[in-house]
Amino acid sequence: MSSLLKIDNMSVRFATPRGNLKAVNDVTIELLAGESLGVVGESGSGKTVLSRATMGLLPGTATRTGTITYQGQDISNMPKDEVRELWGTGMAMIFQDPMTALNPVRRIGSQLTESLTVRLGMNKKDAKEKAIELLKRVRIPDPEAMLRKFPYQLSGGMRQRIMIAIAVSCEPELLFADEPTTALDVTVQAQVLELLTELRKEANMAMILVTHDLGVVAGHTDKIAVMYAGDVVEYAPTRQLFANMKMPYTEALLKSIPRLETPTGSRLPVIEGRLPDPTKDEPGCPFANRCPYVTDKCRAEKPPLTDGGNNHFYRCWFPIGGVK
Amino acid sequence: MSETSQLAPTEVEKPVKVKRKRKRPIGFYLAGSWIALIVLLALFGWMLPAPSWDQSFYDSLGVHPFHHSHILGTTLDGYDMFAGLVNGARLSVLVSLSSVLIGGAIGTFIGVTSAYFRGKVDMLVTMAFNVMLSIPNLVLSLALLSVLAYSDENHPATITRRVSVLILSLTIVIIPILGRIARGATLQWSSREFVLASKSMGTKNFTIIRKHILPNVAPAILAIGFLAIGSVIIVEGSLAILGIGVPGGASWGSMLANGRGNIAYSPWEVYLPAGAIALTVISCNWFGDYVRTSLDKRESKI
Repeated sequence: MSSLLKIDNMSVRFATPRGNLKAVNDVTIELLAGESLGVVGESGSGKTVLSRATMGLLPGTATRTGTITYQGQDISNMPKDEVRELWGTGMAMIFQDPMTALNPVRRIGSQLTESLTVRLGMNKKDAKEKAIELLKRVRIPDPEAMLRKFPYQLSGGMRQRIMIAIAVSCEPELLFADEPTTALDVTVQAQVLELLTELRKEANMAMILVTHDLGVVAGHTDKIAVMYAGDVVEYAPTRQLFANMKMPYTEALLKSIPRLETPTGSRLPVIEGRLPDPTKDEPGCPFANRCPYVTDKCRAEKPPLTDGGNNHFYRCWFPIGGVK
Repeated sequence: MSETSQLAPTEVEKPVKVKRKRKRPIGFYLAGSWIALIVLLALFGWMLPAPSWDQSFYDSLGVHPFHHSHILGTTLDGYDMFAGLVNGARLSVLVSLSSVLIGGAIGTFIGVTSAYFRGKVDMLVTMAFNVMLSIPNLVLSLALLSVLAYSDENHPATITRRVSVLILSLTIVIIPILGRIARGATLQWSSREFVLASKSMGTKNFTIIRKHILPNVAPAILAIGFLAIGSVIIVEGSLAILGIGVPGGASWGSMLANGRGNIAYSPWEVYLPAGAIALTVISCNWFGDYVRTSLDKRESKI
């Protein structure tokens, strides 16, 4: 398989009144065609910014450095108009909140056919047929009636399926799913994830699945990048990561998933403390203040991304299980 | 997650037709029918079997309303009140509609594009709007009128010229009012996720503006547009009273201006045009209010 997307040393900074905010630091990621990557981390760790920056959808206050290679083509310095040609047909994105990602005053049909007519130049009749086919693919019952509905008439899960239908309408090679299930309840979550994986396999589409839930990525990704405070702190194939966790942060994330076996009334496990201030440049490991295994070295010096073998990378001085 | 998750097609219910009786306030009907009446009179008033508005009846000066020959009476100079009001409606509708439509279109375009693209242009546009809004409406159109339609005994300005300059000056007054509303609404809507979602599909900016921003901004503009029609009518009347509007009793304001001196002898000369102005302005306000609340409903359901 060939490399579809390669991100090299990408950093994103936001200009804020309090100074430069470091949202993403020096991230290097590679994705093959048809592969699926999970990006995991708590709120504010830079997951969403990472995916938007890769597409080029950042607001004007942001600056992006590093190179992004998409299908062998450097897109990081491309003019905006040329990057836009890739959007929809090459890269597409599903947004977190299906409640706000649909225009409330337009019917589903017109929103669904918009990219078909605008991007693919279809005529109205073909676009409508394609829209019905898309709705069938995302398992919407009675697709023809759906075209005439307004977003407020649909449930959250339905809307997210519409969003997925819109995102895959131009058959992109790479799909960014930015917390696609966060706003949905658990049973619908499973359905939507199953649907995404199915669509991905059908069309050999690569996917970057952004989520804060390790459980979500476990069954639906080939590899995982764990992010913390803008850094990729662990990067490994999914099986490898779950079998042989190196980062204390990944371990803490996994521990903080509530389990059914825990007795009633016990406190939910949490990771104590908070993310460091992203506008400040502090020495040492950003996780040092919350890490149970912290040493003086951790506080003094930031660990580099270390190759642990088996495509397993981590950013820790004292990884779990020791250094090989 | 697990293999158990299956996408079961949801049961589709046949849509049940629920007769929803929309309760509209009585004010909506009153305001609507008054506006409809004025517009009809403006369009087809000339067909009515009424005397000419600029013909003076020397045999019936200052007759009461409900007189057998003049249904709403005549002025002290013998002009028929009903004909005057009908003709005034035509002028009011012409002036207010054209200035609000033209000014609204220009203002909406400027406001929406500058708010959508932001940047330096937006800053300049906001500044220009604020400068224009800081000058009272009346003073601004007064200044424009007296410069652009200057007239004295030797160089009388024609009525057409007066009316077109009046429309132009009111248009200039309207642009920042509606432009600022459009700008504010666009700022609010363009930061919404569906705009970003459409952008991420490669939609061009002007397509996004046309398909996503404008339909959402429209209710606010329509509502303020109706209010603006009302205030344009008032400004037109005030200009006429100050003596620089349309002369010779051709508009409601001008009738009011002419009849002002005769209030002791024929008060209907003042009450009738003033009443027409007041009712029209109130109706426009009510109607605008109703348009806003009814178009807002879809959003509030989410």
